[in-house]
Parts: sequence; C-alpha cells; structure tokens
Amino acid sequence: MDQNAAGKTFPPYEFRVERGKIREFADAIGDPNPVYRDLEAARKAGFPGIPAPLTLLRTFLYETPDSKNALGVKDWSYIVHGEQEFEYLAPIVAGDVLTAQDRIVSVTEKESRRAGKLQIGVIETRFVNQRGETVQIARRTLVETGQRISE
Amino acid sequence: MASFDSLKIGDQPAPLVCGPLTRTDFVRYAGASHDFNPNHHDEVYAKAGGNKAVFGMGMLAGGYCTRLLTDWLGLGSLKRLRIRFASRFWPGDVLTCTARVTGKRADGGQRLVDCEFSAVDQDGEVVIRGDATAALM
Repeated sequence: MDQNAAGKTFPPYEFRVERGKIREFADAIGDPNPVYRDLEAARKAGFPGIPAPLTLLRTFLYETPDSKNALGVKDWSYIVHGEQEFEYLAPIVAGDVLTAQDRIVSVTEKESRRAGKLQIGVIETRFVNQRGETVQIARRTLVETGQRISE
Repeated sequence: MASFDSLKIGDQPAPLVCGPLTRTDFVRYAGASHDFNPNHHDEVYAKAGGNKAVFGMGMLAGGYCTRLLTDWLGLGSLKRLRIRFASRFWPGDVLTCTARVTGKRADGGQRLVDCEFSAVDQDGEVVIRGDATAALM
C-alpha cells in the first residue's frame, strides 16, 4: 500500500436511499422487522420514515473505487476486509438523499507473528443528508498480507 | 426491548440461529448489497482460487448479528457498531449469533450500554465478532 495515501480525500458522490432497497436488504439478512416494510410500523417505532438497516450504507461504498484505488494495492488477492465500523449520528430514512465523501484516514504497517508484515489502510466515509446533517460515518479497514488469501 | 435499568453486565439475548445457509442466501445478499466479489456467487471461480465452494460475505454474517441487536436493544438506539471478520463460512453452515452486555455508563446525558457479539458456525469456529454501543432509556 502507498503510505503517502493517508489524508487524501475524494470527490463526493450522491445517492437516494430507496424504500425498495431497504426492503430488499432486510430480506437478504433475514430480518422480518416490520419497520423496514411498513410506514405505520416505522412511525410507531419513532422514525420519520422507513429506516435504513444498520449496515445498509456499506452497499453504497461500491459506488466509487477511487479511494480503494488510491491505496495503491498491486494485487487485491492479498487483501482482506479486516473490519467494518459504523457510527450512527442521526436516523436515515427512505427518500433521504445522502452525499458521501471518502477519506483515507491512515496507512500503517504492523508485524504479525502469524502472517508476517501487514499493511493496514483505513478508509472513512462520511454521509451527509439533504439538510446538511452528518448522519453516519463508516470506516473500513483493509489489510494487505504477505501471502495470498482467498477472502 | 431492553431498558437501561433492566440490563446487567453479562446479560444476553436469546441466540439467533441462521441456516443451514444456501448459495441462494449468498446470491440474494450479493444483489441487495452490491457485493459482487465472485468468490461469493461463482463456484467455478471460487474453486479455482482453492476454495471448497463459494463462501458467504462477512457483512452477511454481520447483518444477521444486527438483527439480534436491533430486536434486543432497538434499531434507533444503536450509536456505533464494529464488525471484525474472522473466518469464512460455507453453504450448509448454521450460524449462531449471540451478544452480551460488557459495560454500562453515562456519557453527556446519555445512558450507554456496551456489548459484544459474534456469529459462530456449527463447529464453534468464530466467523465474525464485533462490539456495539446503544443509548437506552
């Protein structure tokens, strides 16, 4: 990985959180909770609309490869997705238009007894809604190992 | 849903059992999540890479655990969540998701409960582990 990539920011991208996508995602994780399907149930649970499942926004991190590319990885078969973190600052509901911006937080090196030299890149994405409120921050940790791994 | 006062350190919700998982479960999550890494849907590709079959996405196991957490603590109460990927899982596996309260604290007028969670396969191998914080009434 490119140690100099730390601190780089990337052009923002915009997307709409769609009700059908929320339902599809809830179905895919086997979650029958009516708040993802029924506006009345969502309102009764205190949401202004159909709420996004907790890990839904990981879906939109595939929108642009720019930040991943900037890590300067030569062979992605040496990369594992080590960790995924979310901070929830305000509710996200169907119909919201979110603007996301990626930043490479850090690129560090670590010696692992088991896997040799590891390089660890952390990409942070901030999501801001149509009212200018930061609603969620996602951080993914990508680990480059000295050996090929299949995940 | 659990309240701040009703929870004690060490408390656990009833485990959530998912599976036996199928290739269709992986493909459905690929479509829903846009994760089109071929290791998760293309058996020919996955085997050429030395895998015994396609394998599930870590974020799918994470999604199963979020269902456990939101049923227990409430979707709107979650303030943060971290998922750490530990090992692969396969068609036919049964994942058991569990969680446990690890701490209770007050922070800036909020009453917070920290918990850890994991998804473990039928052989006891940890697939993912993670931790989360919820603000409860």
